[in-house]
Amino acid sequence: MKRVKAVLGDDPEIAFAEKRYNMIGEILEECLTKTETGMTFSDKLDKVLLNKYLGIPIFLILVWALFQFSIEASGVFMAIIETALVTVGEFFGTLLAGNEMAASLVQDGIFGGFAFILPFLAPIFLMFLGIAWLEDSGYFARAAFVMDKLLRKLGVHGKTFIPMMLGFGCNIPAIMACRSIEGEKDRMISILSNPYISCGARLPVYVLFAAAFFPGFEGSVIFSMYILGLAVAIFTAWLLRKTFFKGEPEPFIMELPIYRVPTLRASVLHMWERGVVFLKKAGTWLFLGAIILWFMSAFGPAGYLGIDPDVSVSYTGILGGLIQPIFAPLGFDWRLGAALIFAFLAKEIAVESLGIIFAIEGDIAIGGALAGVFSPATAAAFMIFILLYIPCVAAVGTIKSETNSWKWTLFSVVYSIIIAYVIAAIAFALLSAIGLGVIGGA
Amino acid sequence: MTVRVALIGNPNVGKSVIFNNLVPGARQHVGNWPGKTVEKKTGKYRYNGEEYELVDLPGCYSLTARAVDELVSRTYILEEKPDVVVNIVDASNVERNLYLTLLLMELEANIVVALNQMDVAKSKGYTIRTEKLASRLGIPVVETIATQKVGMEMLKKAIENAAKSPKPAFLTYPSDIEDLIEKLVTILSVDASLVTHHPARWLAIKLIERDKEVLEMIQGTALDSKIEEVFA
Amino acid sequence: METKLSDLRPGNTATVTKVTGSGAVKRRIADMGITPGARIEMIRNAPLGDPIEFKVRGYLLTLRRSEAEDVMVSTEVQM
Ligand SMILES: Nc1nc2c(ncn2[C@@H]2O[C@H](COP(=O)(O)OP(=O)(O)OP(=O)(O)O)[C@@H](O)[C@H]2O)c(=O)[nH]1
Ligand SMILES: [Mg+2]
Repeated sequence: MKRVKAVLGDDPEIAFAEKRYNMIGEILEECLTKTETGMTFSDKLDKVLLNKYLGIPIFLILVWALFQFSIEASGVFMAIIETALVTVGEFFGTLLAGNEMAASLVQDGIFGGFAFILPFLAPIFLMFLGIAWLEDSGYFARAAFVMDKLLRKLGVHGKTFIPMMLGFGCNIPAIMACRSIEGEKDRMISILSNPYISCGARLPVYVLFAAAFFPGFEGSVIFSMYILGLAVAIFTAWLLRKTFFKGEPEPFIMELPIYRVPTLRASVLHMWERGVVFLKKAGTWLFLGAIILWFMSAFGPAGYLGIDPDVSVSYTGILGGLIQPIFAPLGFDWRLGAALIFAFLAKEIAVESLGIIFAIEGDIAIGGALAGVFSPATAAAFMIFILLYIPCVAAVGTIKSETNSWKWTLFSVVYSIIIAYVIAAIAFALLSAIGLGVIGGA
Repeated sequence: MTVRVALIGNPNVGKSVIFNNLVPGARQHVGNWPGKTVEKKTGKYRYNGEEYELVDLPGCYSLTARAVDELVSRTYILEEKPDVVVNIVDASNVERNLYLTLLLMELEANIVVALNQMDVAKSKGYTIRTEKLASRLGIPVVETIATQKVGMEMLKKAIENAAKSPKPAFLTYPSDIEDLIEKLVTILSVDASLVTHHPARWLAIKLIERDKEVLEMIQGTALDSKIEEVFA
Repeated sequence: METKLSDLRPGNTATVTKVTGSGAVKRRIADMGITPGARIEMIRNAPLGDPIEFKVRGYLLTLRRSEAEDVMVSTEVQM
């Protein structure tokens, strides 16, 4: 009787795969004719983008261009939205001139907070657009190919870079995308390191603070936040590999798709798809949030605080005051403390809550008001803290569902707060040492 | 009754674009890198008065799962046994894509092949004789260009036909392998519970390949020693 | 001449003769089309030298050097 070994040799598994490919070969012999077309567009592009010397510089330029694009190009849109809102705001202002409290709710809460944040949605959308464009082009897999060696030295799988790039848009789909990472350890490392990648929702905070405290250097300041986020993500992945998930990264076996020219329509559709999720959040959380925040900031245990009050005695002030002592060494006051608490819901709420607090206090030009209360060193520490501490509630929920573990979710939250504090403190100390620790001193 | 249809194929071949085309209002995420869809997504469409429940699955290269998302596809095909399996094949990369087709044929699934990305295949200089391919495989093959919505009507028609007159795929290997398969099938057929759950020929092939999970299924049963004889 | 897949240089074409290595990875490599008899072309190294890009069965596949070391190939010409 014939045995498996006699037919398929020592390695029946591989031999069987070979048989299947042989059958395919026979079928295609009859069904497929190939005409030589020479180098395809895709091949030509790879000759440049994956070139030994150009590959890495092009990668860096592309990432840099992504930020430049979303920040620079958004200026126009921000200005348009702002102008439109001012007009609407003035209209409502005259309409409600009679009722002090209602006027404050609308002007300080809705316009100072909710409408204040709307222009900042422009850079977020453009960031989505840029990422959609990269995603559709076919460059994502190439980025993993280019970065694998570097990451692997740190014990991180090159494919982890794909969720990282997605994270620049939003950490939630990025953390979900970790499911296609092979090997449980590699997948866990990818999930737990992703929250430090700076998502679009952090962008409003940077844009606001960079313009107020580092005029002329906005671009570099914002870009360095992204680099810092990436560095912390990679450091965290390295740390996890060295401690809880010891071992070698999984093998790297990845297909490179052909390049496709992303159509504007498809990319805009993409941006919209991700943007709509964002807008829904904005429509509910940010709007409702503005009303609640206004109430918490315009009222205190003593009741309505009146016109241009001392907001520190409001509920918001009390709440912010609770955690403020921890941040006192960094120069945070109760306002920034409160912003940190609210921003746990969604990071862009930090901007909204600051907008409302300053508006109630009577400061409409929040940029100038910020610079009058905080030093550039404090501003940097705050940006860093916003970048690194606990991602938003929704992302924490995603970490829970993807790791399927409360233990790791809790770890992620606690670790993020510690690392955020440590790095913010270091930055504060360094900037103070070079004279940026004084209020009004940029 | 609702017809259950699964979309399966290698990563990045256009499954989600096709899903979005067929299911009104569907918005599955699409992009040009392998591994976007990571969980199964269900949607419904109607065609000629009949209701179809379509499932968009994560891409996979074979049915031996290496990542969580691939496991979803494997489990769905093996356990849920959809009425029609639509295998999306990238025409510009047919050689590797047909590998999964053969694996699905081994499972004796009721398959329809959608030969997608015909535009890319053409620009690569590929000419595919679709009818010949269909007859060689013994499976209906429909040409599509998902991004331009080309071939969607034909695809729906082919799915309808497959649902109305199901025809399990059948794959014949060279005679030396067929001998082995036959021997194992005879042994396996003794265990009725085993072969009602999965096709006997498929189990035989997996045994020859020393597939871990199928080996575990057999382990400890009365068949164990008889099977080992075929290998010894 | 028999060599490892990892020893091919850009532009070299070879025929796969044997796939070794450990279980699951070996299986995946074979599923992806690297089986005995397959024609394979080395396209390029990644900018940092690793992984390596190959063309096999009409598509582009990337493998780390360590994975490519487990595939034996035969080349017609002296390298
Ligand atoms: N030119 C062309 N491009 C296509 C066609 N079908 C899909 N695409 C593109 O192929 C890419 C992948 O499409 P998806 O639908 O996301 O692929 P998928 O099979 O769902 O991929 P995974 O979910 O990652 O497994 C996208 O960039 C599509 O625009 C087609 O027929 N022609
Ligand atoms: Mg998909």
